[in-house]
Amino acid sequence: MTGCLIALLLIPLVAGGVAATVRGWAGHAATIAAGLACLGLVAAMWTSVGRGTIAVGFLRVDAVSMVFLLGTSFLYAVVAVYTAGYLRAELARRSSRAGTRYQRRFLLGINLFVWAMLFAPSVNGLALVWVGVEITTIVSAVLVAIDDTEAAAEAAWKYVLIASCGLGIALLATIFMYYAGAQVLGQSYDLSFPQLLAHAGQLPATPVRLAFVLAVIGFGTKVGLFPVHTWLPDAHAEAPTPLSALLSGSLLAVSFYAILRFYQVTAATVGAGFAGGVLLVFGVLTLLLAALYLLDQRNLKRFLAYSSVEHMGILAIGVSFGNPIALFGVMLHVLVHAAGKGGAFLSAGAIVQGFRTKQLAHIHGAFDRMPWTASTFVIAIFALCAMPPFGIFRSEFLVIQGGFSAHHTASAAVLVLLVTVAFVGLAATTTRSIAAGPVEGDPGPRQEANAWMVVPVLACVLVLLLLGLWLPGPMGEVLHNAAFELSVGGGHGPG
Amino acid sequence: MTGLPLPAIQAGQVLTVGLGAPLVSGAIATVEARLQGRRGPRVLQPFYDLHKMFGKESLAPTGSGVLFLAAPVIAIACYLSVPLLIPVLTTYPLPLATMGDILGGGFLLSFASFLVAVAATETGDPYAQLGASRAKTFGAITEPVLLMVFFTVAAITATDLPYALGETVRSGPAQVVRPAHLLATGALLMVILYETARIPIETHTGTNELGMIETARPFEHSGPYLALLHWGSMIKQLVLFTILLNIFAAPWGMASGTHPLAVAGAAGALIGKSLVLGVLIAGLDNAFAKLRLFKITEFAAAAFLLAIFAVCTLFLGGG
Amino acid sequence: MHATGTTGVVMAPSVFEGTASTVAMIVLLLEFLMLRSALLRAQIRLYAAQSAVVSILAAVIAHGRSLPELYVLAVLSFALKAVLVPWVISRMMRDSATEIAGSGALGVASEVIVSIGVATFGFFAVGALHIHSTVLPSAALSLAVAVVLVSFVLMIVRRDVISQSIGFFSLENGVSLASLVVAAGMPLILEVAFLFDLLVAVVVFGILMRTHHRHVSSLSTADLTSLRG
Repeated sequence: MTGCLIALLLIPLVAGGVAATVRGWAGHAATIAAGLACLGLVAAMWTSVGRGTIAVGFLRVDAVSMVFLLGTSFLYAVVAVYTAGYLRAELARRSSRAGTRYQRRFLLGINLFVWAMLFAPSVNGLALVWVGVEITTIVSAVLVAIDDTEAAAEAAWKYVLIASCGLGIALLATIFMYYAGAQVLGQSYDLSFPQLLAHAGQLPATPVRLAFVLAVIGFGTKVGLFPVHTWLPDAHAEAPTPLSALLSGSLLAVSFYAILRFYQVTAATVGAGFAGGVLLVFGVLTLLLAALYLLDQRNLKRFLAYSSVEHMGILAIGVSFGNPIALFGVMLHVLVHAAGKGGAFLSAGAIVQGFRTKQLAHIHGAFDRMPWTASTFVIAIFALCAMPPFGIFRSEFLVIQGGFSAHHTASAAVLVLLVTVAFVGLAATTTRSIAAGPVEGDPGPRQEANAWMVVPVLACVLVLLLLGLWLPGPMGEVLHNAAFELSVGGGHGPG
Repeated sequence: MTGLPLPAIQAGQVLTVGLGAPLVSGAIATVEARLQGRRGPRVLQPFYDLHKMFGKESLAPTGSGVLFLAAPVIAIACYLSVPLLIPVLTTYPLPLATMGDILGGGFLLSFASFLVAVAATETGDPYAQLGASRAKTFGAITEPVLLMVFFTVAAITATDLPYALGETVRSGPAQVVRPAHLLATGALLMVILYETARIPIETHTGTNELGMIETARPFEHSGPYLALLHWGSMIKQLVLFTILLNIFAAPWGMASGTHPLAVAGAAGALIGKSLVLGVLIAGLDNAFAKLRLFKITEFAAAAFLLAIFAVCTLFLGGG
Repeated sequence: MHATGTTGVVMAPSVFEGTASTVAMIVLLLEFLMLRSALLRAQIRLYAAQSAVVSILAAVIAHGRSLPELYVLAVLSFALKAVLVPWVISRMMRDSATEIAGSGALGVASEVIVSIGVATFGFFAVGALHIHSTVLPSAALSLAVAVVLVSFVLMIVRRDVISQSIGFFSLENGVSLASLVVAAGMPLILEVAFLFDLLVAVVVFGILMRTHHRHVSSLSTADLTSLRG
């Protein structure tokens, strides 16, 4: 299995290298092959992680990492296919030389970005996780600016500055955690998880608390937690669509993974009460902000970006409940959010390309012009609203159930309330524009997006439906193990 | 040979400062001129100037009160009292040294400056009043700096006596390199630049009335009163130098006994150290440009920053 | 009545500790100078000086606490942060005619006062945590946090890409300072990884600065207001 892990981290690099040198379809073929191969490798590792960890060198994968690896590699495969169609329309506007250059850069960037997001959850140690998350920032910031418009430059600048500052704080958190560990383990340990978790009970409390708060603020900047979320809607809206999907479905989750690692140590040192409390405050504020912004949003991609903020808030609140049911829900939520937000962004990107605008007010009669894209988009939005029978309904239900059974009744009630507000925003905005009929006298020609862009979205929707109706046995096992790892030793509340 | 009686040494302190001040000022002026490529005045020129002014008649503007004439006299008395309180020649406190602490010295200096400002407002001269009001405006920022410096001294030595700090600094290199001490010294140096009318605050030799602060105040005085004010300024400069050198920056070369040669050597050492400091300041004078008036608050804010951090590091331990 | 100095309310630190704290204090003072300097090149030079001071501190600790690994770190961080990064940013600036940073959101004196408040908060907030290190006095940790906080003020009040990125890089200097205090023994490989990350970040900042300059034709960020809501 160690071979699989090493291959998983080599394939995107190789694909990136190939895509940066060849022209035409070969680059897409390499990327798609890499995406499918990574998904296959993760699936192959899946069952063996159900029984323990895979460790080789400085790499270490356990059930928690596995969940994030699956989300990322799934989106990798989906986005790789989608990009093939997306770039065809983009390149039509460019000269062939500029087009080749754009495609090379784009595919190289996407592959590197995915590599960084696969790297961060596979490494052993908080310091290396930080390095991985920092690389994701660097690569994705350049990608956000790749369209070379004024708005993209603005979004990229805000993103790189805010996210870098956040990661500066996260580095401070890492250093304080090192300090806490060094009090017990001596100077020469390298922040690796098994060591830290094994001695978590003896770590000095104050530096650990400090490190956790700093980590939540620092990595929270990249997760999109209030009040350091401000880069998120800009970057998601101005980035090219395949990148938006990766940012939202995968990058935010990977950053959240970093917080989860700090949570594990902190909960084991000072109890889940403190760590959960911090996450609860940030989570509720984030959810509140996102729900309010969703009510009146005019830009299609910003609208989806705020939905991502909302779901990150749900993740934070879910972890704060700290009981195995809620944590199981959180782990599932990471996966279904990746599928849901991937599907929503990718179909929204097709709509934006078809209508040549991101303004919701100008998108009317989508069902007539792009029946497949529009219907998958609406399905994805309803899935994101946590409507049954989709997977997000199951995960959010588990989170809320976990909250009630852990006697966090008030927080769980607030969660239900805010999710409902967000639901109203999502549903109302969608029905007002996308699902609305064509404006009088403007039927518009029927111009469905090409199959490369429809099939990936269909895959996302099918996954959402599948996970809503039936959770495969091995998947449940890994999620269960992940939830167990997160809740173990935390001395969490009743339930 | 027996030692000098303590009161004599104390009188010697006042004399050293009173007579050394014009010498130091003259020497600095010469060096400054040389740095600018001029021949400059003689080193003893301030003595000749004072002598000339004492021989002239004095005039007072109509309508000015008794304070106009009293201020120069009281001010110089204040300036000459400060050397009683601070270590000028000796490392040990002299009999009258404990009648006032470091705050007492500060009060005397500010009182003198206040009187000169009030005397300036007694006249109808707009420039004198301008200088007085500016001096008080910026003084509102520099005086907190001095207070912070005093707090630092108090926190380091647990007393408010200038002698104690000099003693502490002499006790070892650990006391010299500690950040609180260095920061307080830096802040004090900046306040001294301000108080002695140096660049970047003002060109003390300039004739541009609009840029003047310190030098504008005695515009209406003349004759012996003007001489007293000028002399007072020089004494203030040397007193401030002495505070910086003998308490903070270089409390070495002072007499530890009462032997006349030791005391005389200490007087020479003080003048020598002051000259070195003066040359340094003249160098600064040459290296920087004068700040525009509204930028002086930035200068004062920087001094305040140093002083605040001196106190902060002390209270954090490790300062 | 006459105190002897060593019995004062605040015990004097040892020569090593005093020197180290003073060097750390210089890092903070340089941060304040960056806050007030109006010339972009002066700001870059100040950053270089600050990085050099941090590297010197690493060397001082390596010598004083017998941690030879830190010599390597000192040399690397000097080469990277005091030489390479300033050079890269200066190169970026060569294309732009701008020399003077636009006025900040506040006047310099107000900026300094705000920063004093922020830094003092950082001082005492960290001081209250009682995190003690065997390597450096805890005042240095407070100073490091103050540097981080003041660099935030710098990034917030300045409205040009150079100052903002210099603010971020000096934030990283503050973090380096903190890591010297509480994590001096951290394995060298991790420290090098951090430094390498910084280098890549500099390149990306540079690319985005150029993109920005191409679109806006200035270094100012005052017009970056089109994305809201």
